[in-house]
Amino acid sequence: MHHYITEGYVLPNQAHIYWTTMIVLYPYITGIVAGAFIISSLHHVFDKDELKPVSRFAMVMAFAFAMFATLPLLNHLGHPERALNIMFTPNVTSAMAGFGFIYSAYLFILAVEIWLVYRTDIVHLYEHTRYPALKPVYWLLALGVLDISKEAEAVDRRVMIVLASIGIPAACGLHGYVGFIFGAIKANPWWASPLMPVIFLLSAIVSGVAMVMLCYIIIHWVQKREISGPCVHALIETAWYFLIIDVTLELLELINHAYMANEDWTILKQLVTGKLFVSMFIIQILLGSVVPFLLMGAVVVFKQRVPAMARNLIAVGCSVLLLAQVGAMRWNVVMGGQMFSKSLRGFLNFQVDLYGREGLIAGAVIFALPFVVIFVFSRLLPLWGNVATFPKEWMKEEPPVRQPLKGWTKFTS
Amino acid sequence: MRHAAHFARLVALLVIVVVGFLLVRAKMVPKDFGVKGHFRLSAIADEAAREPRHIGSDACAECHDDIGAAWRAGKHHVPQCENCHGPGLLHTKVVAEDSTRGYPDKILTAFPKAINPGTGIRECRWCHLKTFERPSALKYIVSVQQHVEQHGGTYTSASRCIDCHDPHTAEVKR
Amino acid sequence: MSQLPPDDVTRRAFLETVARTGGQSFLFGSLFVNTALLRLPQAGTDAKARAEAEVGKGVIYGFVVDTTKCIGCGSCVRACRAENGVPDGYNRTWVEQYTFYPDGEVFVNSPNGGEDGFADPAPTRNKPTGTEAPMRGFFVPKLCNHCIDTPCIQVCPVGASFKTDEGVVLVDHERCVGCGYCVQACPFGSRYLNPETGTADKCTWCHHRVVRGLLPACVVSCPAEARIFGNVSDPQSRISRILATNRVQVLKSFLGTRPRTRYIGLDSEVI
Repeated sequence: MHHYITEGYVLPNQAHIYWTTMIVLYPYITGIVAGAFIISSLHHVFDKDELKPVSRFAMVMAFAFAMFATLPLLNHLGHPERALNIMFTPNVTSAMAGFGFIYSAYLFILAVEIWLVYRTDIVHLYEHTRYPALKPVYWLLALGVLDISKEAEAVDRRVMIVLASIGIPAACGLHGYVGFIFGAIKANPWWASPLMPVIFLLSAIVSGVAMVMLCYIIIHWVQKREISGPCVHALIETAWYFLIIDVTLELLELINHAYMANEDWTILKQLVTGKLFVSMFIIQILLGSVVPFLLMGAVVVFKQRVPAMARNLIAVGCSVLLLAQVGAMRWNVVMGGQMFSKSLRGFLNFQVDLYGREGLIAGAVIFALPFVVIFVFSRLLPLWGNVATFPKEWMKEEPPVRQPLKGWTKFTS
Repeated sequence: MRHAAHFARLVALLVIVVVGFLLVRAKMVPKDFGVKGHFRLSAIADEAAREPRHIGSDACAECHDDIGAAWRAGKHHVPQCENCHGPGLLHTKVVAEDSTRGYPDKILTAFPKAINPGTGIRECRWCHLKTFERPSALKYIVSVQQHVEQHGGTYTSASRCIDCHDPHTAEVKR
Repeated sequence: MSQLPPDDVTRRAFLETVARTGGQSFLFGSLFVNTALLRLPQAGTDAKARAEAEVGKGVIYGFVVDTTKCIGCGSCVRACRAENGVPDGYNRTWVEQYTFYPDGEVFVNSPNGGEDGFADPAPTRNKPTGTEAPMRGFFVPKLCNHCIDTPCIQVCPVGASFKTDEGVVLVDHERCVGCGYCVQACPFGSRYLNPETGTADKCTWCHHRVVRGLLPACVVSCPAEARIFGNVSDPQSRISRILATNRVQVLKSFLGTRPRTRYIGLDSEVI
């Protein structure tokens, strides 16, 4: 841990920053999980059918990021080997202790949902795959049960509806909870706020939608697939809607601090106009909020009159900006809260490391891992559409054409 | 339910994981955890097991009896031996092993912050030099040079407080 | 001062007791020992029996910092570092220097936590018009407040931070995962992540000394009697008498953590 250069009076133990890159990355990753899941729910539960092309992918993305949500935390702990203490002896009064259980439960719900969505495809691929080596993998994924009869699908559908309904509050809970970890710290005036969980949740949705939108368009460009105009439009609409509520609350939080002008505002004012000026006013608000608000707003207003290419370009550009917005927001909260001392009289000159356990490179590697999982997944099961649109060369023969169960296609395609 | 075999397997898997977790947990949680509150009771004993490193001036005076007596009788008996000399624990251990060696080098190695007394005026100025924020009721030295010259001495950059004062009694040496 | 306060047990008494009862029973009976040794055991008393008889009598430790007496020598900081092996750059206790200027500006400083003493000569401030002399000033020693409603124990996810019956807040270094949440939750900056152990660390009020009937290292080393430690539940103890005859303050009282470390002569500028 570095001893940073300080300005003014910093309490001796606060000349160090205890939470760095990894703790910025952790809410960022869980945010993408929650946001991507909301996208699939909008289709599965709220019947937003335009989102059908991305709903499976959004689920896979949510799962891939959820798999690594704890990695930054483990990498940050002084004793990662004791990490399970949080589940062995959870302290009920700790805002952090619930994480192990909330996270595990959410990961389980997500895994089962994906499993149900893909079960038919798994069984098909087990029966028809061209690669014998993959047969045991599919068998394991099917848990050894090859029953995809109509009756079995009816059971699946019932469970799926229950899980999807539990999944939404679980996703909201997971990320609202992450915000609570910060918002409940009364010792830190920059964090302590009941708005924090709400802001974390809304920005999570923004980042998840942006990530799904970005990957959907880029992958389709690369693979020369057809991009669904209504889908991109619906994604932009969703992102725009949540961005507005998110930024409104973010600004409300800041304005509230300024207007109440408590004892701590003197230093918070210096913080936001000084060390956080670029990451807050330039990246988070101007580039990350105002610009996407205007661009996506144009798409929302002009609807079909926007040419497909322009819409896609706006979607890609705004996705990047929105991801930067949410990244900056996480940075401003997590690091901003540690750049001033609890003496309320001094600042730290924090600099990010490039190398090292909690450096930028380590962060980038962790952030890349979900994409590796998505890639591996795409080699095993169809990311887009269902087994009918699967690469033909993967199978020995065409799968039998099946009459889907009424109301079930929504989930399986 | 006839067509729910896959759920049966899923539930079985979940049960295995949960039971496995509970078994591991039972093994990993210390027996005395939660006895008196949400913590491991023997952690108190662990903390108590640390050996005090400051042994106290009485202990110092057991061997260094002449200095101890002079210090106690003199007007410099407020600061304890270890304020200037550093914690005595290791010293007593080293001396117990071999009385011919060990002080102060070994202590300085073990406690880098321990003081090698008599190297200058550093230890004295901690308490005696005038600093604006000090309670004004006490008397301090504003400048060493001024103090030396005021009392008819000659000040050089090599001057040390202990040239004139006995550090243990604060008396002026004759 | 060489005379320990009357409510504090001498080291010799402790050694005698250890010799009689064996050190081992001491470590595991720290709860008993605390109680027993808080008042001077009379010669010939069986300390262990006495200790057991006193269990549940409700010894509660307290700490008073008299800022009007602190001379800013840094002895406490040095003693604490040596006694507890505190790594460089971190402090279990530190001394702050407050200097006020006529125009109302306040300068606060704690170079190295005050370990090497403070600026000399008296600080002057550089102004465009020249240097300006300060108006008033004082020192404030700080340490863990051992709060009654402590946020650090509240947030610890694994139960590695806890409070003893005597009100001392401790860290279990064998269960702490080193997440740093308690460091963030402490409003006073009393905690740090120890880079050597990978666990959270803090002032223990020298619990390991107190169970042996010794005073905390900072209290012993203070030449100005600015630090007072003792049993606040005993009305005859020195700290109780000081608390009964002084107006005391705590740090950041508005946060409702109810600190057990109390201050005499605290200025409103001290946060």
